[in-house]
Amino acid sequence: MLRKVLIANRGEIAVRVIRALREMNIPSVAVFSDVDRHALHVRMADEAVGIGGAASADSYLRMDKIIDAARKVGADSIHPGYGFLSENAAFAALCEKEGLIFIGPPSSAIEQLGSKTSARQLAKRAGTPIPPGTEEALNNANEAKAIAREVGYPVILKAASGGGGKGMRRVEREEDLEAAFRDASSEAERSFRDSAVYIEKFIVRPRHIEIQILGDHHGNMIYLGERECSIQRRHQKVVEEAPSPFIVNHPELRAKMGEAAVAAAKEAGYTNAGTCEFLVDIHGNFYFLEMNTRLQVEHPVTESITSIDLVKWQLRIAAGEKLTLKQEDISIRGWSMECRLYAEDADNGFLPSPGEITSLSLPGGPGVRLDSGVYPGWKVPLEYDPLLIKLVAWAETREDVVHRLIRALEETHIGGIRTNVEFFLDLLADTEFLAADLHTGFLDEWFTRRKKHEFTPAEIEAAKRVSALARRPKPQQVHVKSKWKELPLR
Amino acid sequence: MNEAKVESMVWSLLDGHRQLEARVDREGEDYVVAFRGRKLRVQLEDPRAWNGSGAGKQSSGIAKITTPMPGKVVRVLVEVGAEVKAGDGVVVVEAMKMQNEMKSPIDGIVKQVAAVEGATVNGNQMLVVIEAHAG
Repeated sequence: MLRKVLIANRGEIAVRVIRALREMNIPSVAVFSDVDRHALHVRMADEAVGIGGAASADSYLRMDKIIDAARKVGADSIHPGYGFLSENAAFAALCEKEGLIFIGPPSSAIEQLGSKTSARQLAKRAGTPIPPGTEEALNNANEAKAIAREVGYPVILKAASGGGGKGMRRVEREEDLEAAFRDASSEAERSFRDSAVYIEKFIVRPRHIEIQILGDHHGNMIYLGERECSIQRRHQKVVEEAPSPFIVNHPELRAKMGEAAVAAAKEAGYTNAGTCEFLVDIHGNFYFLEMNTRLQVEHPVTESITSIDLVKWQLRIAAGEKLTLKQEDISIRGWSMECRLYAEDADNGFLPSPGEITSLSLPGGPGVRLDSGVYPGWKVPLEYDPLLIKLVAWAETREDVVHRLIRALEETHIGGIRTNVEFFLDLLADTEFLAADLHTGFLDEWFTRRKKHEFTPAEIEAAKRVSALARRPKPQQVHVKSKWKELPLR
Repeated sequence: MNEAKVESMVWSLLDGHRQLEARVDREGEDYVVAFRGRKLRVQLEDPRAWNGSGAGKQSSGIAKITTPMPGKVVRVLVEVGAEVKAGDGVVVVEAMKMQNEMKSPIDGIVKQVAAVEGATVNGNQMLVVIEAHAG
């Protein structure tokens, strides 16, 4: 087994890894930046090493300092969590070179799966379906037209070296293709100094469904069912669930997608935990999107429905142990759903809301799991991702799990900062959400029909009363300002 | 209404048999009261504060641009004397890896620039003052 594990991360995911280590009796080492000395992951660790300034670039992204810290405390392995250095092939390679175990796939797999075009080529070699289109740059608009006719409209033009939506054009009809090709190439040239553009079939109202895999160093690899993450805001997942309501209605897809994910991972020489992301259209055609070469934020929903501890398996696999789980051992029970509770102002453009958590009360009871990185009095720093707590529920059915989550959110109190708790309360009550008619544009549509919460007169009266009680001197004049309207009361 | 203080800043209220649990947090001068995950902002006003210096609002023809959250000033886009239109960006503030452009709510002239590029700012800190055109 591993001798001592350094966690090159912070927040809830560092806490998650420390918990697994403590249960396995493996010493844990936290690293922290200057503003994280008081962080929960440091408090829970056996050892802790300061690695520099508040900015990620000065601490959590400093490969040299993290390797030094591991050396200093005698750790033999590093868990990268998600984000930061977790998908950095150079960091994995550095660990390999330094004789440290990187708890994740080999650097060569991260490298191959890291670039869009090489991952697409790899998936194609493995026989994993990719969106119809080209892998190479188009030479001219006529070439684009020929391919668009073949794959059918709508199509999307994408910058070959692009990202972040730049150099992308969705085209509905042939007569618009030439102009869109010109625009996309010139935007690609401006943004990436590379005018190369390729073309793909545009998938209308797709679902985002991903497959969790685990593979060891002895050639064994399995898939652990799917997660559906179609509820996204600006390509960021907001609610995740397992199983996928779509797959439950198309059960033959689970094994097909699972095998396609395993094939792509094997082609890359993958080991440890990973996730293969797919877009799925309304007919059940699925297309490889990308491979996430790390543990994912939403891994707890898979753990809940499979009763398998993914982090412990990551550690065992990294130590060279055999994956004793067989594909036929994997069964799915019930339904799980996760809400990512963020320090953000959901009513004001989701602006981050760092600051001190002045009071905190968290839910309990049946089927509730909290992966938290915070405590009362903790000052949420402004330098990092504002994820505070992952609230995960498990129940027998999807309907039950939604109601359980609503109940748990109602028990959740995070005072002093703005959070998205009420956003989830509104979303989970939506009838179309309950009907599970999901697609990646779901949230954008929902925002336009969002129902505003109304407080009862008794609540408004009570709010005035307790505010006055909270303040010693008697108030002279009172009015209540809710988020939706201002109502003078007296 | 029957009220029982059950924890620090937490009350259980009975209106007949109807029970409500209310949690209170202070946010600046305001109180935020939460019922089952839903938050309600309450302002208790003290008439002594009504001394006519209600600065900061457009009524006086002056707009004070303040930070909505703690962060770092990335760029200052205007200088004193500059003319701005409503909707023009004046300062870019970064917090939690997101850059946010603070915009002028009015047409006018920049009277004061307190924002300094690279400086860390608190929530609600004044960055720029803009005075509306006379008439």
